[in-house]
Amino acid sequence: MNLTVTIGSLTMKNPVGAASGTFGYGSEYEKLIDVHELGALYTKAVTPEPRGGNPVPRLAETPSGMLNSIGLANPGLSYFISNKLPELQRMGCSVIVNVAGKTQEDYCKVVETLETQTGIHGYEINISCPNVSHGGLAFGTDPGIVEKLTAQLRSIIEQGAAMRKDSCRPLIIKLSPNVTDITEIARAAEAGGAHAVSAINTLVGMVIDVKKRKPVLAMKTGGLSGPAIRPVGVAAVYKIRRAISIPVIGLGGITCTDDALQYLLAGADAIQIGTVLFSNPNAAHEIIQGIWQYMETYKINSVADIKNLLE
Amino acid sequence: MNIQIANIIENRSVSDQYFELVFDYSNFDSEPQPGMFFTVKIDGAFGPVLRRPFAFSGWNPKQGTASALIEKRGNGTHWLAGLASGDTLDILGPLGKAFSFPQRGVRPLLVAGGIGLGPMLFFANVLLARSNQGLCEAPLLIAGFRTQSLIPKLDFPAGTLFCTDDGSTGFKGTVLDCILSLSDALPKVIYACGPSPMLAALARYASSLALPYEASVEQWMACGIGACMGCAVPMTDGTYQRACADGPVFNGLTVDWEKLV
Ligand SMILES: Cc1cc2nc3c(=O)[nH]c(=O)nc-3n(C[C@H](O)[C@H](O)[C@H](O)COP(=O)(O)OP(=O)(O)OC[C@H]3O[C@@H](n4cnc5c(N)ncnc54)[C@H](O)[C@@H]3O)c2cc1C
Ligand SMILES: Cc1cc2nc3c(=O)[nH]c(=O)nc-3n(C[C@H](O)[C@H](O)[C@H](O)COP(=O)(O)O)c2cc1C
Ligand code: FES
Repeated sequence: MNLTVTIGSLTMKNPVGAASGTFGYGSEYEKLIDVHELGALYTKAVTPEPRGGNPVPRLAETPSGMLNSIGLANPGLSYFISNKLPELQRMGCSVIVNVAGKTQEDYCKVVETLETQTGIHGYEINISCPNVSHGGLAFGTDPGIVEKLTAQLRSIIEQGAAMRKDSCRPLIIKLSPNVTDITEIARAAEAGGAHAVSAINTLVGMVIDVKKRKPVLAMKTGGLSGPAIRPVGVAAVYKIRRAISIPVIGLGGITCTDDALQYLLAGADAIQIGTVLFSNPNAAHEIIQGIWQYMETYKINSVADIKNLLE
Repeated sequence: MNIQIANIIENRSVSDQYFELVFDYSNFDSEPQPGMFFTVKIDGAFGPVLRRPFAFSGWNPKQGTASALIEKRGNGTHWLAGLASGDTLDILGPLGKAFSFPQRGVRPLLVAGGIGLGPMLFFANVLLARSNQGLCEAPLLIAGFRTQSLIPKLDFPAGTLFCTDDGSTGFKGTVLDCILSLSDALPKVIYACGPSPMLAALARYASSLALPYEASVEQWMACGIGACMGCAVPMTDGTYQRACADGPVFNGLTVDWEKLV
């Protein structure tokens, strides 16, 4: 049986990845689990400059989910390269760097700089960030901007690959569900030259403390993740699969094998797990085993076939 | 630090709102120290997505057990209170940084507010043992509660001072009022755990006298191991530190209490 997943020039050993922002840069989890078992590790967002992040509180729990407003806290590009990248290189799994920014130039700067580094297997572009040149509206809400940004990043990584005399690292556009029609954005990413899209990022949410009469989070709103958003994610992947032909990576609320299979059946080529890692750091291992067993039981030869099995 | 499915050895109510959870610690890979904590997975139907953090209140290496004092707050802690010896728990620990030991010749003042008692009682017992070996001075523990019925039925070090907001027992007033009322030697170093307003008041007091001050801070946590940046604690220099990995014990003079509270 074949569990490998192909995205552009990259082959991941299995379809299960750890989602950006929930797994740090891997080293924190090393003591608890075998990180090398992962199909891929998606890093915490990297921005050009260090970011301390948002005021506190940054977390709130919700029914079957949670809100976060971390504010893309990260040590910045230079520190990432000198301190985090060497750690990531010994993790033994595909390393996908999640990239964020306030302007188009921010994204380009991060990818351009990382193209000169080794040990990176791909990029996931977080387009849920507010675009300061466009009144703070998220990049990911405007198909025109998404296509332009994708095309620009694609040309940077083509140049980088030529310079390294290596194959082009896959460019994955991570879609925001906070849009009217997510398939429109997926099409824009495909048109711009993305090798894959991942969906979904968190949904905007708010919790109010009625005794204090104010929002629980210091930033008032945050991103909703966890099982509460799973049906939204599964439906998004189902629709995106039917709108584009590049690979789709599904995520949002996956906690166990059956959840992961829902995404694969809906049309995902691979999946990521995030929030579940907070309660069960061993979830990736369990899901990889579970998918294997499912394939054995139903005599499925390749994990890539699962997306064609939905009745 | 590792994850274990641990047997509950004992789980008993110790006051109106508090219970003491004792669990098998023999399979964990490192010793818990005062100030460190662990997280518990809350099961049951529609269990929450986040683990719950609790400070160690004791460790008994001979029996291979560790304990926590827990206050019944919401669904998670009520679920925990209903468990009994023989039940198992999914526990991740030990986590975080511990209190540092006081210098020789300096009497440490330990201050606990409410359920912040757990780690302070653990620390007091460790310091008592050290003072018996001549490694430090015996600590003075001051423990504040809203009212008498919350004070757990546990063994406290001799000389522990109790305060209650309503004066139902011990000193009537806050722990800070109690410290100010100490007519003999003023403290030279303060360690504390409790509600943030109490920790903030102690920070103002300690800074006015330039006393070393370590505080164990409470903050919502997601991963508990330093990966998610959710548990940020604001510092006076404008940066953030992680309660779970850089703390929960911090130099209380460097925490920006106004932004935290
Ligand atoms: C380092 C640390 C040590 C702690 N030690 C103790 C202890 O020794 N004894 C004790 O009784 N309590 C301790 N707490 C607090 C304890 O974690 C909360 O009381 C508990 O999580 C409440 O869970 P619940 O489901 O009963 O309540 P909920 O109804 O879910 O929440 C009630 C309140 O508890 C707090 N809380 C809930 N979940 C979390 C979380 N994941 N992280 C942080 N805070 C949370 C929030 O302030 C919330 O408003 C500690 C917290 C931290 C951060
Ligand atoms: C604490 C936290 C931090 C996150 N940080 C990022 C991030 O930096 N970049 C990003 O693209 N997504 C980030 N996400 C979103 C997740 O990668 C994922 O898309 C989302 O949580 C849905 O998956 P889940 O329900 O399995 O967690 C974050 C999520 C959480 C909970
Ligand atoms: S709880 Fe995740 S970094 Fe502290």
